[in-house]
Amino acid sequence: MALTEHVIMRELDVPNIADFNVYLQHDGYVAYRKALTEMKPNEIVQIVSDAGLRGRGGAGFPTGRKWSFLPRGVYPRYLLCNCDESEPGTFNNHQIIDLNPHQLIEGVALSAFAIEAEVAYIYCRGEFATAVNTLEHAIEQAYAAGFLGKNILGTGVNIDMYVHRGAGAYICGEETALMESLEGKIGQPRNKPPFPAVEGLYRKPTIINNVETLANVPPIVLKGVDWYRSYGTQQSPGTKVFSLSGHVNRPGNYELPFGVTLRELIYSPEYGGGMHGDRPVKIIIPGGASAPWLIDKHLDTPLDYESVAAAGSMLGSGAVMVMNDTVSAPHLAYKMDEFFKHESCGKCTPCREGTHWLVKVLHRFAEEGHGRAEDIPVLHSIYRQMQGNCFCLLGESAVMPIKSALALFPEEFEAYVARAASNGHDGQNGSAKGKPVIALQQR
Amino acid sequence: MAEIIITVDGVQITVPDTMNVVDAARLAATQIPVFCYHPRLPAVGMCRMCMVAIGMPRIDRDTRQPMLNEHGKPIIQMFPKLQPACTTRVADGMVVITNSEEVKFAQNGVLEFLLTSHPLDCPVCDKGGECPLQNLTMEWGPGNSRFDYSDKVHFEKPYKLGDLINLDRERCILCSRCVRFQDDLADDSVLGFDQRGRKWHIISKSDPPFDSKFSGNTTDICPVGALTTSDFRFRARAWELTSVPSLCNHCAVGCNTTLDMRHNQLQRVMPRDNAAVNDIWICDKGRFGHRFIEREHRLTTPLVRRDGQLQPATWDEALDVIATNLRAIQAAAGGAALAGLAGEHLANEDLFLFQRLFREVLGSNNLDTRTGVPGEYALDDVGYQYGVGVGTNLMDLGKGTAVLVFGADPEEEAPLYMLRLRQIVTQGGSLIVANPRPTKLDRSATQTLHYRPDSEREVLLALLKLVSAETKQIPQRTTGGAELKGTLEQTKLDAVAKLSGLEQAALAQAAQTILAAEHLLIVYGADVLVHGASLSALLANLLILRGKVGLANSGLIPLLARGNSRGALDMGVRPDKAAGYAPLKQAGLTAREMWPAALAGKLRGMYLMGSDPVASYAPARAALDALAFLVVQDTTLTATAQLADVVLPGTNVAEYDATYTNAERRVQRARLARKVYDASKPNWEIVQAVAQALQGELVLAGAASSTTVTRTVGGNGKSGDGVQGKLTLTTSTASPVAAQESWDYITVGEVAADIADLVPGYAGITHTALAQTAQTKEWGRQANEDYFYDGTSYTNAEGVGLQVPAGAELPKATFDLTPPPATKVPASSTYPFALLVQTLAYRNDPFLHDSLLQSHIPAGYIALNTADAAQLGIAAGAQVQLTSAAGSLRGTARVVPDLPAGCVLVPGGLVDLPVATIQTGALTRVAVSSVAE
Repeated sequence: MALTEHVIMRELDVPNIADFNVYLQHDGYVAYRKALTEMKPNEIVQIVSDAGLRGRGGAGFPTGRKWSFLPRGVYPRYLLCNCDESEPGTFNNHQIIDLNPHQLIEGVALSAFAIEAEVAYIYCRGEFATAVNTLEHAIEQAYAAGFLGKNILGTGVNIDMYVHRGAGAYICGEETALMESLEGKIGQPRNKPPFPAVEGLYRKPTIINNVETLANVPPIVLKGVDWYRSYGTQQSPGTKVFSLSGHVNRPGNYELPFGVTLRELIYSPEYGGGMHGDRPVKIIIPGGASAPWLIDKHLDTPLDYESVAAAGSMLGSGAVMVMNDTVSAPHLAYKMDEFFKHESCGKCTPCREGTHWLVKVLHRFAEEGHGRAEDIPVLHSIYRQMQGNCFCLLGESAVMPIKSALALFPEEFEAYVARAASNGHDGQNGSAKGKPVIALQQR
Repeated sequence: MAEIIITVDGVQITVPDTMNVVDAARLAATQIPVFCYHPRLPAVGMCRMCMVAIGMPRIDRDTRQPMLNEHGKPIIQMFPKLQPACTTRVADGMVVITNSEEVKFAQNGVLEFLLTSHPLDCPVCDKGGECPLQNLTMEWGPGNSRFDYSDKVHFEKPYKLGDLINLDRERCILCSRCVRFQDDLADDSVLGFDQRGRKWHIISKSDPPFDSKFSGNTTDICPVGALTTSDFRFRARAWELTSVPSLCNHCAVGCNTTLDMRHNQLQRVMPRDNAAVNDIWICDKGRFGHRFIEREHRLTTPLVRRDGQLQPATWDEALDVIATNLRAIQAAAGGAALAGLAGEHLANEDLFLFQRLFREVLGSNNLDTRTGVPGEYALDDVGYQYGVGVGTNLMDLGKGTAVLVFGADPEEEAPLYMLRLRQIVTQGGSLIVANPRPTKLDRSATQTLHYRPDSEREVLLALLKLVSAETKQIPQRTTGGAELKGTLEQTKLDAVAKLSGLEQAALAQAAQTILAAEHLLIVYGADVLVHGASLSALLANLLILRGKVGLANSGLIPLLARGNSRGALDMGVRPDKAAGYAPLKQAGLTAREMWPAALAGKLRGMYLMGSDPVASYAPARAALDALAFLVVQDTTLTATAQLADVVLPGTNVAEYDATYTNAERRVQRARLARKVYDASKPNWEIVQAVAQALQGELVLAGAASSTTVTRTVGGNGKSGDGVQGKLTLTTSTASPVAAQESWDYITVGEVAADIADLVPGYAGITHTALAQTAQTKEWGRQANEDYFYDGTSYTNAEGVGLQVPAGAELPKATFDLTPPPATKVPASSTYPFALLVQTLAYRNDPFLHDSLLQSHIPAGYIALNTADAAQLGIAAGAQVQLTSAAGSLRGTARVVPDLPAGCVLVPGGLVDLPVATIQTGALTRVAVSSVAE
């Protein structure tokens, strides 16, 4: 199923495509020039809709439909490129910027034209220092070549593009928190509605798309809907850059058409190359840390939005994390929820306090070895108290690891309890028997 | 706004479609618990306490009608998840379920979560007993916690958010009410957040920290004990307090307060809900500037000067000396040789009797509330004549309302107006702020006009010209139209633009806003009040031309100096008019005229009640020294009282039951909260005692020497002990005057009844009527409703006040358009700068003594425009000298870019920079020079 021609990872087809001149020699900015000189913005929206492009950031929402939500006649509009790639296990955006940056710049500019935005921002996570340099250099080159700025290619179209570097918060990948952060405020999600398309950055209509989504736009405009739809499935057309990690022999980014099975991704010698040490697959997290877990029986699930959802999880950002049988489910849940606790913004109570409590109990199981039988219903209760009650998806995501672990591997929690009991631990705050439960903290 | 029907827990109610589910459920008598939601703040939905199940009728796609089940009822489609009630707006047919197991589980869960970090230190927490977190936990929370870790949130404490407000970050549940209050209502974005997750906490972003005049309100709306005031911290438990309705007397807003007392000591001042005055807020001056009520060195007994020393005396002795001496002066030189000054903070009853004493007993019209200091406010009759109509409620105003703020800085002069005017803008109204200099209200304005100092008259004439050009017909009962027309013909817009520095287009835009307004409010302050009618009458002309006189929600709002400035004018404590603005045959002396008269020996005796001219106007000292006899009635031994022959121990607002009239002519009642010190008496009782003593003196004058006067003292009959007792004179029955003029009030309510009978406009305003509230529904939190909803401001159960009609509302009132003559102080080459004196909220005011606000009083400065400073070679921080025809003054220079050229700005009322000493009148021209180091 290997691609002979890549849509996104074109560096595999064209060596050194990160060089501006090489990019220009290989169809670079051809789609953009065609769009600006020959097409109307809504024609591009139509093409993107027809191609069935879906958002790669996690939700898989149809991009063309998102663009069509913009209220008519309200300007200015903004285009935001979400490059706050912070989802654990996800690492394709960085590679796109490193190895094929001009396609992203062209995609952002082309999409800005399509939605009639004159300003586009690329919001990069704070850790992307080199990526920001790469992007800024690429943008400079685009300005110098006349692809950005005022009256582009003599068409009267104005598009300015800026790169903004975040300060290192996972929550800023949430679209409204990203806007808050971009406006210079503390990065926290906003109430929805109003949705960004109606009231986004600076309370103006705003479209926010993922890096990979926008990088798909130039090839679609250049080569057409039919070509694009020749990849992938009916509902999930095109290709996806899967970030494969975990106990596989060949972790890395693999661009494959939607519909490839987990088994092929993990076991094909061209991609994952099988499990390290030939140990069995135990847990697969198919879409970043926020996705419910899958297990070995799901190996033949095709990786497209519908099939993964049918299997009980979500394709999310396409970050496939594979764990072998050496991994303890409670420990994995602990590590995952530790991440969410660390990144919880604190705005809403269930997420702020729930993740903290969850991690406390999970730490008792997985790190201290003092898990108690009565902790198990508490764990169930905590995630149920969070589920559906959080302000944004961060808190809802934090539910997934513990909920999956308890649902798929209840016996492992019980085993922890049994082991703790046999070791003579009373399970109280990790203290030996006889010490006070509540220790007064020194001030 | 349409009315729709929703169902809350099976109860159908009709609600406006603009409401959210929390407020709508209240109408169905269902409480949905909230922490972050506050009815005065935009909903944010972050605490997740208000999660409820919500469903909507399923709509048939073809017919767009609700689908019905077999019983003919709409099929309700519930949302898959619970929804926050605060951020969900009601919609027709909505079904809300607040009592299902699912909802209870979620609400229980949020409370259990909150208590995993909250310290539960209720026994030492000031909020204990009136804490939403306590109450919600009892009602909606789990009975216990399964969180068995010693891992509560820990922060250093106490943490001073500002010097007035303490933050306990451990108790904070991060609802952001305080941050949003500061951002959205107070327009002081001084609070923010730092860190994230469980370490997320409130910080102050300003320097000095928590720099806001409204900071105390955040402690009221804080749903836990995280925010406490330095004033009340650890003073008392909420349930030990006796709450007494009172009023703030600092400025003309007349905010309703509650004095929380314990053991006859004031513990704290809290806002009392009054939608027509202060809603549920008070400013920090009202909350913290109250220590004067029980300040040290209070007078506890009358003092009489013997052998050159003021020595304690009984009431009998003191009244005897007063009666003898005042009568002696009256007999020798007539009533015109006597004068009285009274403070504008005193109650209507005090002031009414004071002027009666002078006019009826002593035969003098020499009365004033001012002290004669140059640059003081003129007597504001225009604000009465064309004041806002009865029924005005700023809280209701928005779209269709235009507010013109002229020559006023509401944040400093009457802080609550800042919030109220901002709310009008938030609700869609227009706000034009016109001042010579920028003020904080500019940020909220829809248009700002910064005119050059001393071009006010021309600017107003230009506005009148633009407005009158669009006015087809002058309203009925109007006089002076021809005179105005004549003046306007001479007003040239281009000349005004040149003089004022305003664009003609800006003037036209302001005129358009005024013309388009359905409700037209004009707020004016210090810069107009110093000029008096010469400017305020022009403002009134705008209203008259627009036909907006004598109507509710339109009219003038003068930001008068004190809590009862309007009442003092109404009661006739002034030389030119009697109570109710009744004309006098012959006017008496103004305060300014009294001092030369005293020095010339024409004025020989004075009675000052709550007035301290020596402190505000140094030259008064010599004049007072020249008097033959001086009586001072006050609460402390002021600089003026030290000169007196007799000092009488008076009382303050907390110590007697009385009424006060605010800037919008709303008469309100403050109650007795605190027993008085020893022999002090309510001010009105003292005035009556003086009158009774004088009448006794009159009866016996000539028949016997004053020392033989026989008096009995009421109460316990013990001479001189007047704590609860009341002085009565048995001799008065023999007096022909007494038969004519009764001085036999037993209660303050009788004085108020006399005011109601005798002062036009006050008819029907009795203490009984004032005690009534309107329909409780209109006044914010409803009876028995919990603190969690809108905070710990007090429900108003003791009276929301009654408005006195404006002059224009009286039958047969006429409206005078005649423009007042110009009063110009020409600029000269000797004194090229205009002196702007800024009225500060925090100044050296005796009422702020002993309060926490002392440290907020700024050091004096002289502010100059950047270009002027450069030209004069003056750097910021340098010493400069201001010289006027009256004197000179040195201070530290401040260089500010946004001050207009050609003027200097100096804060007034500061002891380290007594600007009054160089003022020559309403506008002072000065020279500025740098002082060599």
